[in-house]
Amino acid sequence: MPQKKLIFNKAQMDEAIDRIADEIIAEFKVTSTNSNPIALLGIQRQGVPFAQRLSAAIKRKTGSSPLEGILDISMYRDDFGLRKTLPVIYETIIPFDVDDCNVIIADDVLASGRTIRAALDALTDYGRPRIIRLATLLDRVCNEYPIRADYAGLHYKAAHNRKIVVEFEESNGTDGIFEKHWDKGGDYKE
Amino acid sequence: MNITWTRKDLLEIYDLTAAEIELILDTAEEFKKVCQRNVKKVPALRGKTVVNFFVEPSTRTRISFELAEQRLSADIINMAGSSSSLTKGETLLDTIKNIEALQADIIVMRHSAPGAHEFIARHTKCGVVNAGDGAHGHPTQGLLDIFTIREKFGSLKGLNVSIIGDILHSRVARSNMWGLLKLGANVTFAGPATLCPREFEEVGVRVCHNLREALVGADVVNLLRIQHERQHCGFFPSTTEYNQFFGLNNDSLKWLKPHALVMHPGPINRDVELSSDIADGERSVILEQVSNGMAVRMAVLFLTAGVL
Repeated sequence: MPQKKLIFNKAQMDEAIDRIADEIIAEFKVTSTNSNPIALLGIQRQGVPFAQRLSAAIKRKTGSSPLEGILDISMYRDDFGLRKTLPVIYETIIPFDVDDCNVIIADDVLASGRTIRAALDALTDYGRPRIIRLATLLDRVCNEYPIRADYAGLHYKAAHNRKIVVEFEESNGTDGIFEKHWDKGGDYKE
Repeated sequence: MNITWTRKDLLEIYDLTAAEIELILDTAEEFKKVCQRNVKKVPALRGKTVVNFFVEPSTRTRISFELAEQRLSADIINMAGSSSSLTKGETLLDTIKNIEALQADIIVMRHSAPGAHEFIARHTKCGVVNAGDGAHGHPTQGLLDIFTIREKFGSLKGLNVSIIGDILHSRVARSNMWGLLKLGANVTFAGPATLCPREFEEVGVRVCHNLREALVGADVVNLLRIQHERQHCGFFPSTTEYNQFFGLNNDSLKWLKPHALVMHPGPINRDVELSSDIADGERSVILEQVSNGMAVRMAVLFLTAGVL
């Protein structure tokens, strides 16, 4: 049987998202009449519900709605052709002008930093943001690339042969963060 | 999307499942957005080499492929049949083996012999993309036509698509036919009896030899050029007569539904199969087809390169 261990529950996720929202509000001085807006850019796929949760939390606390976008990084990966399965390209929607914007990239898990490296390349092809920050719900503290999260909700060190899976009610039916094993073929066990 | 692409080659739409066709179209939608950005380039195929080998001449398809490859950051070599060693007696297979020995990753080929691509795909590790083989297939043209229709109508299911003209010599008609049928559209072929054989009825195409019959009830009309270069005997008396019987003009346009699209794979022979004002009119999506072609070719190259 596949092994799937719950490492953080819904309450811990909610608390972490709440805390990140507070940190963003403090840094960018977000108020209901803020004239210097921030944009939350969720990375496909699980960064998208994370960004939406963050956005909702910021709106609840300040009355101000951040701009929202979705970024897919498949065209910018550095392991094209090296993976066993081909990356499927998901939708990118950036309905705001990136130039001079304060963009917060949101992804569910920060591991090696390779996804974020690709996201920075992709984002700068859309324009020239004023500030780019990185928010992650869970930081695996891998430190492989010189990329660190500006806002990290949770920290969890896991061995390389483990996968951390974040599930959101919106996309998976329930909230929770799980640790899973790789099988010998290199594919994830569900 | 729960489908994974596993093909190193794109030989004909006939080989693809409906889900694979939809995957190409969905992928192309994202590449179309890339083409509309300020920075129209992504690094997806960085380090890959694509050889465009056009044994049969082409301008629009070659340029479209070339630009698609550049926008994917691939390295490109262009070879024409007339300037290759084929003219010195080298076999096609030897030429391909030489290209492979140069560590090329993908060969985009146009060839006059039907099935040439299937043959070389069996003998090379390179990905092979069919850019037209005789009157047999032109899958990226079929896919871009279907992409354009899907973009306008949302789905192909139940749509009536009429393809009119020189069906006999048309690889575009054949590639369209396979894709349209797989996605649930109703296909009609129309043209002079000499250029529109009844054999297509066997795979579920409606064949007629009357323009009005083809236009009434059609959601899409795709007009084809008379391929004089492939005709070695008189299939009809004159282009003037062809125009009178099968040309789309303002009179015959009235038979179409008000929302119907007018398509043409190009090059157009104005006022033969299509009158100028309709070609340039509001129902025409001919230039959108050209733009979409690049997005579809980027998608095909991206997917096939990912398997290599």
